[in-house]
Amino acid sequence: MADFEPKIVSFLCNWCSYGAADLAGVGRAQYPANVRVVRIPCTGRMSPKFFLAALREGADAVWVSG
Amino acid sequence: MCTEKCPKKVVDTYNEGLRKRKAIYVEYEQAVPLKYAIDPTQCIKMIKDKCGNCEKVCPTGAIVYDQKEKTTKLNVGSVVLSPGFKPFDPSIFDTYQYSKFKNVITSTEMERILSASGPTGGHLVRPSDNEEPKKIAWFQCIGSREINRCDNSHCSSVCCMYATKEAVMAKEHNGPELDTAIFYMDMRTPGKDFEAYYEDAKENKGVRYVKSRVHTIDPITGTDDLEVRYANENGEIVKEQFDMIVLSVGLEIPPETVEFAGKLGVELTDNNFAKTSVFNPVKTSRDGIFVCGSFQGPKDIPESVIDASAAATAAGEILTESRNTNVKIAEVITEINVDNERPRIGVFVCSCGTNIAGVVDVKAVAEYCETLPYVEFVTNNMFSCSQDTQEKIAETIREKNLNRVVVAACTPKTHEGLFKETLLAAGLNKYLFEMANIRNHNSWVHKETPELATEKAKDTIRMSIAKVALFQPLKEAELQVNQTALVLGGGLSGMTTAKSLATQGYETHIIEKSDKLGGQAHNLLKTVQGEDVREKVAELSSAIDSDDKITVHLNSEITDVEGFVGNFETTISGDNKIEHGIAVMATGASPYKPEEYCYGQDDRIITALDLDRKFMDNDAALKDMTSAAFIQCVGSREKDRPYCSRVCCTHSVDNAIELKKLKPEMNVYIIYRDIRTYGERELLYKEARELGVIFIRYDRDNKPSVEVKDGEVIVNVTDHVLGRPLEIRVDLLTLATAIIPNRDEKIAQFFKLPVNDSGFYVERHAKLGPSEFATDGVFLCGLAHYPKPIDESITHAQAATSRAVTLLARESIHTNGEIAVTSPQNCSSCGICVSVCPYSAPSFTTAKGPNLGRAEINPVLCKGCGLCVASCRSGAINHNGFDTGQIYAQLVNVKEAV
Repeated sequence: MADFEPKIVSFLCNWCSYGAADLAGVGRAQYPANVRVVRIPCTGRMSPKFFLAALREGADAVWVSG
Repeated sequence: MCTEKCPKKVVDTYNEGLRKRKAIYVEYEQAVPLKYAIDPTQCIKMIKDKCGNCEKVCPTGAIVYDQKEKTTKLNVGSVVLSPGFKPFDPSIFDTYQYSKFKNVITSTEMERILSASGPTGGHLVRPSDNEEPKKIAWFQCIGSREINRCDNSHCSSVCCMYATKEAVMAKEHNGPELDTAIFYMDMRTPGKDFEAYYEDAKENKGVRYVKSRVHTIDPITGTDDLEVRYANENGEIVKEQFDMIVLSVGLEIPPETVEFAGKLGVELTDNNFAKTSVFNPVKTSRDGIFVCGSFQGPKDIPESVIDASAAATAAGEILTESRNTNVKIAEVITEINVDNERPRIGVFVCSCGTNIAGVVDVKAVAEYCETLPYVEFVTNNMFSCSQDTQEKIAETIREKNLNRVVVAACTPKTHEGLFKETLLAAGLNKYLFEMANIRNHNSWVHKETPELATEKAKDTIRMSIAKVALFQPLKEAELQVNQTALVLGGGLSGMTTAKSLATQGYETHIIEKSDKLGGQAHNLLKTVQGEDVREKVAELSSAIDSDDKITVHLNSEITDVEGFVGNFETTISGDNKIEHGIAVMATGASPYKPEEYCYGQDDRIITALDLDRKFMDNDAALKDMTSAAFIQCVGSREKDRPYCSRVCCTHSVDNAIELKKLKPEMNVYIIYRDIRTYGERELLYKEARELGVIFIRYDRDNKPSVEVKDGEVIVNVTDHVLGRPLEIRVDLLTLATAIIPNRDEKIAQFFKLPVNDSGFYVERHAKLGPSEFATDGVFLCGLAHYPKPIDESITHAQAATSRAVTLLARESIHTNGEIAVTSPQNCSSCGICVSVCPYSAPSFTTAKGPNLGRAEINPVLCKGCGLCVASCRSGAINHNGFDTGQIYAQLVNVKEAV
């Protein structure tokens, strides 16, 4: 497991977390490149189907933030 | 790059000197515009004509060393001053040893330490040794309510609340075992929801509140810890050790602002705030010059935002005639029809100078994009957002006949609008566009792993291409805004709003349930500045009566409301129908009728408004009294009414002064919990003490008691200084009663407005949207929002007007294209969408036909959050721009990545 690199799909709310991830960039915060971001208009848009689809497509983890 | 190569390190003043920055820098991450600037006092090139590194490395040649300050003359009709405040510098106090001990810091330094973007990355450590503190103390009123060693007699209004917030945040950072103690004089948390926050900090979060002023801080030899000595409530001297001390510094007006005001001829108060009057709270002494924010008086964020909108109203009122002059109208380009066309996608990969290209291999990314389905054209730009590139993109769209565009660059949060304009310029529907964020979410945060960053960029763009291929052109409906306004409530707030709307040219209806205008203002004697309230109400009433743009409906109530923003139809008593574009809720509040303290058992036990009435009637009995008492917080700050009514401390202190002036030998007592004379109201508190008003403190668990015995009114209270019970015989006992909102569920339902547990309306945003609702086209002001004195009600009314006018002045509104749309044939009429929508956009169709009773979504009300889309069990709702199929397409294209 030492070399395990998780593949993470993140659903970020446009109004908060997506903007926060932008600010992390402006502040040059460094983090691993394991995340693929899907911008959503609100976490209210999140559907259980999206979790399942992400997992089906091979994600090890799904992160919803909003 | 310029910042990286700059050799000069400079003290970072934004971070309170807690870290260094470079001589070429961005002040902070949220800066607008987010552009680099040179500090001319530090730049080696500008001082010694050496270095010049930044000029050498800048790929766009943006560095100009000889730029000079330019003076420009503007011809304007109104001026608004919002120069803000300066935090008090505590180095003049030797008691607090701010300059001497590293671990004595100011509250503004603490803000930076607690901030995720601060000098320690949000890690709470103390400056001397970067160790996590175990015990932190806050000292209140540093540079406020202090005239011995500085000249700030005012209360800074915000420090009690920010210290409480910092203590709670510190505990969140370092765990509940962190000991936090706030040393205070009076805990002043009179803002909306502030009292509940304070109670929670005290009762549940374990923040300690110590009512004492610390007089000595000593270093503890061999450590960086500090020992403080203070007198506790029993008068005993206590010694306590802390790892760190935070000085809650006050707000003051810097000398530059004082000088500037002098040049403008704007008068100031003794504390250097702009002089204003209660009935014109944002107007300075000079005509046409207005003021907002802490230069008007020390205040928190919501009040500053309200002030700003109010100043906009005041400045706009005198410019009504010039509205819509000096405007340019943009050219509209006819849209190309791309229906049923196979997607022909153009991909523009941005280098952003070296911001992206320095990490991500943009050439490899561009080559990769050419291999993807439906991609017709790919190029790499140095700066995609520059004017010439924008023109080139538009030209390419036309030349290559592109019908979908992906720009892989920075963030849609800042640049989506710009690129959508480019599409419009090329005659393409602006919704056929998607951005791939390969800078903020990629090159900037994966500097150490360029290969992984390049892979991530390919994935991100591939996902965007898959999504954009499924996009369809979207329409924006245009809707006319009815130019009439409706104001609900004819009190001071409602009258002020109506008058201002009419002055700015809008027909306005006031709906008032009683038989006259004026509301609670009729019950008030005078303002804190001594102005006669009734006189002002009469003036305003007659101005409204003679204004032919205002229609007043007395003895009227709303019986029905139809429609939405821009097009409401409201029915009032007598079946009168009013069509209007916006509505303002100014429904006010009423005084609490006390059940405690023997109220109603004796004529000498009265409420604050009763006492005002006695003054108004020149009641001769007042002069004969030898003793009068006030009990504060009657019905406020209680378990079932956990808010502070904000106005009562000032009201009682003011009336106590009146009594003392009437008869100096009268014994006047104010029995209180915390005296909350915030801002410059503090001066009244000082005056009352100087006149000999006696202040006796009690707490909620040990309230005073009142009895009527043998024809006497007796107040029993424990004296907080002597610790002994007192029996006070009074000729008059005034109860400072709570303010209770006029709760009306019906109105709330008609306009779909939320109400909090205490019955006050819930505004769009507690800090940034205090004068409007989440429901578009409905605005809020006055006591219906929260208790407030007259000046703040007037400001709030002007603020609501400003928010309303921004909508009315547009005359028409465009709906957003990225919204939810129903397919009625799939709808099962379950009603989930109707019940979950926070904006009341979905409803059941009432039009006869096959879709009768099925859900439809009003595009004007929909904000595109997608809650209904995710909730629909029949899959009957599509989401333009974020449709299920489009998100699936992105997810399927994650695959190659993972």
